[in-house]
Amino acid sequence: MLDSLALAVTVPLLAALLVTALPGRVQTLGVIGAIATALVSLQVTVQVWQHGSLRSDPGGWGAPLGLALEADGLSAALLAMAALVALAISIYATGYFREGERRLHFWPLWFLLWSALNALLLAADLFNLYVTLELLGLTAVALGALTGQREAVAANLRYLLVGLLGSMTYLLGVVLLYAAYGTLDIALTGAAIRPGPVASAALVLMTGGLALKAAIFPLHFWLPPAHANAPAPVSAVLSALVVKAAFYLILRLWLDVFGTIVTPAAAGLLGLLGAAAVIWGSWRALRAERLKLLAAYSTLAQIGYLCLFFPLLQATPEGPARDDLLAALVLMAISHGFAKAGLFLAAGLVQHSAGHDRIDELGGTAQHLPAATFSIALAGTALIGLPPSGSFIGKWILMTGAIETGQWWWILVILIGTLLAAAYMFRVLSRAFNEAPTPRRFVTQASTEVPALLLALTSAVVLGLGAQLLWRLMGFGVVA
Amino acid sequence: MNRPAKLMIGLLLCLFALVLLWVFHAALMQSPGARLADLAMDSLPLSGVKNPVTAVLLSYRAYDTLLELAVLLAALLGIWSLGAATPGFQPAGAALAAMVSWVVPLLILTGGYLLWVGGYAPGGAFQAGALLGSAGVLLRLAGDERAGLPSERAQRRLVVAGIAVFALVGLGTMVAGIGFLTYPPGWSKWLILLIETAATVSIGVTLAAAYAGGKPRSRASDGATP
Repeated sequence: MLDSLALAVTVPLLAALLVTALPGRVQTLGVIGAIATALVSLQVTVQVWQHGSLRSDPGGWGAPLGLALEADGLSAALLAMAALVALAISIYATGYFREGERRLHFWPLWFLLWSALNALLLAADLFNLYVTLELLGLTAVALGALTGQREAVAANLRYLLVGLLGSMTYLLGVVLLYAAYGTLDIALTGAAIRPGPVASAALVLMTGGLALKAAIFPLHFWLPPAHANAPAPVSAVLSALVVKAAFYLILRLWLDVFGTIVTPAAAGLLGLLGAAAVIWGSWRALRAERLKLLAAYSTLAQIGYLCLFFPLLQATPEGPARDDLLAALVLMAISHGFAKAGLFLAAGLVQHSAGHDRIDELGGTAQHLPAATFSIALAGTALIGLPPSGSFIGKWILMTGAIETGQWWWILVILIGTLLAAAYMFRVLSRAFNEAPTPRRFVTQASTEVPALLLALTSAVVLGLGAQLLWRLMGFGVVA
Repeated sequence: MNRPAKLMIGLLLCLFALVLLWVFHAALMQSPGARLADLAMDSLPLSGVKNPVTAVLLSYRAYDTLLELAVLLAALLGIWSLGAATPGFQPAGAALAAMVSWVVPLLILTGGYLLWVGGYAPGGAFQAGALLGSAGVLLRLAGDERAGLPSERAQRRLVVAGIAVFALVGLGTMVAGIGFLTYPPGWSKWLILLIETAATVSIGVTLAAAYAGGKPRSRASDGATP
């Protein structure tokens, strides 16, 4: 009688305790813990695939007195993405933090972060979500500052303060909802909520706080320095998973708590901010001097695309068209998760080998690091949205939705964003390939290059070709 | 920043606070009475403790508390990752040293009392742990570089003990077939006391170690009996 939802949180938590208590065997325990965590997370996804949604009540009291864990198609899809990306990052980290003091600090914080991520994706209680946000934010900040350099510490101190402001604002919204409706359970609150000043204020406070954490334009100012100055595996997890978790929470609240009170104007505003993020983020990525800064700005743009779905979801009535939009949104989020993690890991290899990551001086990277360059190119395919990547299908459905709901102006934004993305990716690749061909060896350090390559390959090929599985997981009909 | 800008921000913040207060008032007006408080009191006999706050923390929403303990651990690991602790103060003078040698045992004793009393009155692991932590703060202020804590190896084990016991109790009840962190009837009180005792030690050590402000320095007496 095992509760896979509770295991998905406790297994990484116990792994964190083990690597804290036994620093002598941190590397071995880290690998075992990562594999175990990935397995229990995928177990949840498999069970959702088989039975639809899952729910469990830790403590056995049940809502509203107790709290609950819940997994549906949306959380199961993101949980599986997090498991695979985090497993690849763990393997990369064994090569990246091979020795020294830093790996003693990396592993405990890393497992706590993974535990927080799983707990956030599975939480069905508004206050429990606040606790997971705090754990996620603290561990992300500590990991981001792991290099100990002045810029990294400064950027992450700012990230810490911004994150605290974000979670406090979220908590204010939770307090209002509890005061008015007397429950913290997501489903019960969603059923009780009525339009009015309280619900609107809670919507604004919670969305605002989470938008700060998800770096939605114009609240993104903290992200580029924090993500660009972290160690490579940490940048990958921050961009691919941590930002995505805050975005997931906005989506969850808008669908399940505020579903009945969201107005077209509110959704339109979020779409507008998304559009601004797509253009501003892509433009700054094109102008970036460093590869990791480029990747960080591209994250802004990708979060922007996800926001574009809100006005379309709002305008589309329940039915297959809305299901398609929702699945496309998840597909884009997952594709970006894999692509950005692959890109950051590969950028870390380039930085390690060249001693810097200035884009203009990357000449010959394709010769020295063919596997890493190939990973960057594959990840770029997904970031631009070329077929057969998952984001190609995502953007296609996004544009179809925009035409069907008569909101054609979003298409212009998507086209401009795609053009700029193509430009910034080709700018990197043209530099990397500018020396004579014939690389000596494709793979130079397997433990770090293979995870990057696999992540990028998943984003560019597997997700696009296997997209129908996602529709099945989320309980929707298959794409027409 | 110039004065008018500061004034403007202050005014806007006041306005925001007023709007929030008005909304909060509206929320209280449309409230469904006692919210969850009645339900929490009614379920108290089933929880194994007589203090509703302890019941919320360790029974109704025990899973929240488990993650809260993880937050504390994350904070300490974050502090440790930033480097070694600064050396402490010089050894205290006779008067301070005498006071510390009186107050620290009293703090530990009071912590134990608060831990026990949490079963039926205000108290519990967090309050008791805070007292233990403050004993560590006093020791450090009086010149003990390590705030009265043992070696780094031992500290690492002590700070994870609370979460470890908590999570293992949860897994134990899950394997026994009654569900994660669901205490079997009759066992509740003792399981809660077990979790709270381990949590008290971990919280106390975590707070004292966090006050030291960095990774513990190794010192010559490590390994030798103190």
